[in-house]
Amino acid sequence: MSGYIERPRYQCALGGALATLNSVDRAVAIVHSAPGCSSSADSAANVGSGYWGATYCGGRATPSTNILEKEIIFGGESRLKEQIESTFSIIDGDLFAVITGCMTDIIGDDVKSITETFRQQGKNIVVAETGGFKGNSSTGYDLILEAIFTQFTEKGLEKNPRLVNILGLVPSQDVFWRGNLIELRRLLIELGIEVNTFFTPFDNTNSLKTASSAALNIVLSNVHGINAAKAFKETHGTDYISLPFPIGPSATNEFLKEVGKSLGICSNKVDEVIEKEKAWYYSYIHSLTDIYNDLDLQRNAIVIGDANYGYSITRFVSDDLGWIPAYVAITDILEDDQKELIKKQFDSFSHDLRPKLIFEENTSRISKHINEDLSSIESEFDHAISPAFVLGSTLDRPLAAELKAGFWSVSYPIVNRVVTDQGYVGYRGGLRLATEIFSVILGNR
Amino acid sequence: MGLLEDKVVPGREERIKASMAYGGSACGLVKADKICLRNQERTFAQAGLCQLLPTLGMLASLPDTAIIVHGAIGCASTGFGANIGSRLRHVQMGRTAIKDTIWISTNLSESEVVHGGEQRLEDTIYETYEELKPKSIVVLQTCAPSIIGDDLHSVIDRVREKLDIPILASTCEGFKTKIWATGYDVAFHAIVHGYIENDKEGRPPRKEGRKEGEKPLVNIINLASVGLTDENEIKRILNSIGIEVNIGPNFASREDIRRMTQADLTVSICPTHDDYFVDYLNKEYGIPFVLRDMPIGLENTKNWLLDIASKVGLQKEAEKFIEEETKKTLKAVEKYTPYLKGKKVFLSAGEFRALVTGLLIQELGMEVTGLRAYHHDYFGDEFYTKLVKAQDGKDFVVDIANFQPFELMNILQKVKPDLFIGHVSDNLSAAKLGFPAATIFRIFDYYIGYRGFYEFAKKMTRVLKNPAFNKKLSENVTHPYKNQWYEENPFKYIKIVKSEDNDGDIKEIENSFDFASLKGEI
Repeated sequence: MSGYIERPRYQCALGGALATLNSVDRAVAIVHSAPGCSSSADSAANVGSGYWGATYCGGRATPSTNILEKEIIFGGESRLKEQIESTFSIIDGDLFAVITGCMTDIIGDDVKSITETFRQQGKNIVVAETGGFKGNSSTGYDLILEAIFTQFTEKGLEKNPRLVNILGLVPSQDVFWRGNLIELRRLLIELGIEVNTFFTPFDNTNSLKTASSAALNIVLSNVHGINAAKAFKETHGTDYISLPFPIGPSATNEFLKEVGKSLGICSNKVDEVIEKEKAWYYSYIHSLTDIYNDLDLQRNAIVIGDANYGYSITRFVSDDLGWIPAYVAITDILEDDQKELIKKQFDSFSHDLRPKLIFEENTSRISKHINEDLSSIESEFDHAISPAFVLGSTLDRPLAAELKAGFWSVSYPIVNRVVTDQGYVGYRGGLRLATEIFSVILGNR
Repeated sequence: MGLLEDKVVPGREERIKASMAYGGSACGLVKADKICLRNQERTFAQAGLCQLLPTLGMLASLPDTAIIVHGAIGCASTGFGANIGSRLRHVQMGRTAIKDTIWISTNLSESEVVHGGEQRLEDTIYETYEELKPKSIVVLQTCAPSIIGDDLHSVIDRVREKLDIPILASTCEGFKTKIWATGYDVAFHAIVHGYIENDKEGRPPRKEGRKEGEKPLVNIINLASVGLTDENEIKRILNSIGIEVNIGPNFASREDIRRMTQADLTVSICPTHDDYFVDYLNKEYGIPFVLRDMPIGLENTKNWLLDIASKVGLQKEAEKFIEEETKKTLKAVEKYTPYLKGKKVFLSAGEFRALVTGLLIQELGMEVTGLRAYHHDYFGDEFYTKLVKAQDGKDFVVDIANFQPFELMNILQKVKPDLFIGHVSDNLSAAKLGFPAATIFRIFDYYIGYRGFYEFAKKMTRVLKNPAFNKKLSENVTHPYKNQWYEENPFKYIKIVKSEDNDGDIKEIENSFDFASLKGEI
């Protein structure tokens, strides 16, 4: 069980649920909580994910009951009912979702039965109890998806053997979720598969409504979205597989093979796609060969991020960029069995390239661990991992400065650059990341 | 107000009858009964803001301080936002070795909600002290621990005995008040108790008066949202007439804050922000104060400065300075006024900031055509009257709203201003409708004093010259409101809530505005 957390790299359950809803076009959250919960959560999602910003009905426009002391004492149910009614009369949306904060969960408002009366009137409304103390963004993503899959998604649809749902990229927590999902879809379409990505600006609530016709859920994480996939399986009978989030050609080759195997796609077809995509990647990387070798662009890597990014970025810089992974810090709040799953992923690294793995939620302790370990390695001159490069959150910039290392922000929160359609997944995402990293190294020329 | 006796700061609706819901005309607002105004609420509401945010924003600015947010993890999730403010301040000051603010969540989970979180808080304070060695620790108490009955103050009393650094404590639960500006009071309360009243060295003695030939020392109460640029302009103005300045408590050290008890005068640059602290320094240290204007716009700056000068016997110096600066500034803005003259402006911000900016835009030849303020209290009344008078009695629409963009967008569709001027996060609504918009707040800009007047005119001219971004945007984005909403009275969802203490004398307030009267003029 987790204790206090210094400079946390996620939001609460309410925040995760809100960001997830706001990433769906024409989905509208109704936040049943004190004033401030939705603004804080939205501002953390907006600023922390590279200025994600305005959404259809998010930010300050989010309908919210803004409950006060009198509702804490007498209950907030009538206020919620009033708010749902007025929201329907003024807001134009395709899916409404009541999500709750700490205080309404503690006082025990019966939000489910209130929402149920509106559902019986035929309204597209779901409810999830997302009190902040229930967990972090990832928990909130699971809770709201469970609610949508069980209360909104149509039951009993015929399965389409070529359709998959993608889960496991938590909007805003994965700062690049939009670009990543779009690239994933492009790749899978190349394999001849149809894909529900749900959370790009080009999706709508229909894909959530008909998601049960998918033959398979692909969870690109071994932590995030697993519970949602389990709830999906229980309600709609669709199986799921959990695969690592693939960045760069090496990881993506494996990813496509795995997906192909799961869906029974002919291996020739898979190989054909891999060859074509790899050729695309190498046609650009090839042109950087001079600078890679002449300017010595190889680095010792320190990677700091959540369960998805910690492993996948390390894998990319090691397998494709030829860097030496030195330290990896995983910042999620994790159970022991989840930590084991992540440790196991790192077993695939050869002895010389296996980074020191740190499970640490507290920001200052990450640098402390690394600095202590470095000072235990005898060195007459500079520290043992110079030249180093830190890939982490903006919060890790001071660590990079301390180590005189290069720095690029790739994990939440990112406040020192703007993120729009960028993504790191696949061949194109890997190329983008390589381009950005090398640009940072050459930035002072 | 029981600043010294009370552990918990009262909400502003109680303390100064502040209101957060009104829709009508400026004249109607000034005439309305404050008790009735206080009881207005909304049956449809959008995201508010809680007092934790201003409290966090202010207290995170204190140097070498660790902020502990006692609650569930989400309440600390905007720490990096608060950190941006202090980081940029360091950058402005040319400090290269920048240290990020430290913020910590006690991360209450289901288990603490059942069993209580006091122990977690206490352990967190000790470990923070040991591990991170801050010069002060600030604790912010949020909703969840309050509801489950954690006794913050007994924890603080215990740790204060054991630790040799100041511990600041604030109860800033979002559900306690609908007026989030209460968060400023909460932050001042924490600062006063942590650095002055309960400081290990004890409270500084009262100053005995100014010595012969000594320059008057004036406290300037700064705002976390006022940049170094504006602070420098205030300093320049006051130094020019022979006043020494001590600026705080935002970004100030413990020592500078304690020195604020030794001043000859306290000067507020925003009464909405400062009244609680100004009152403390006056009651406990006998320091007289100026708490009326905000030095934005020429007339306001003049009134503010003359008020200060008269309190320390420097009127002549002030008058001479004002005359020279005004002449110089007016000449400098001449090249911009042709772009600005006659433009209809909609203002949106904290009430006082919006109102004083209204006078500034009138001085530049523009007209106030509407105003949205986050809350209303009596500090603003005089300025509404001034604004209406300055445009020959032409009234304008006023929306008192804790954001509520649905009302704002409806109003803007009806008012169609030439220019929207808003605090950060307000401009989005105007932008989506295609209006040129400019922020009233950015810590690298100047807004205050003479330099502020010039820079403001320059910036508004720039914004008006090319509104292409917002215009094109409006042609390509959709709104979440149903079309019929724009046909309705924007204040349709405001209602009066009866409360036990005044059921008898509820007076209905008319929440409507005659928009048709505007149409003839467009």
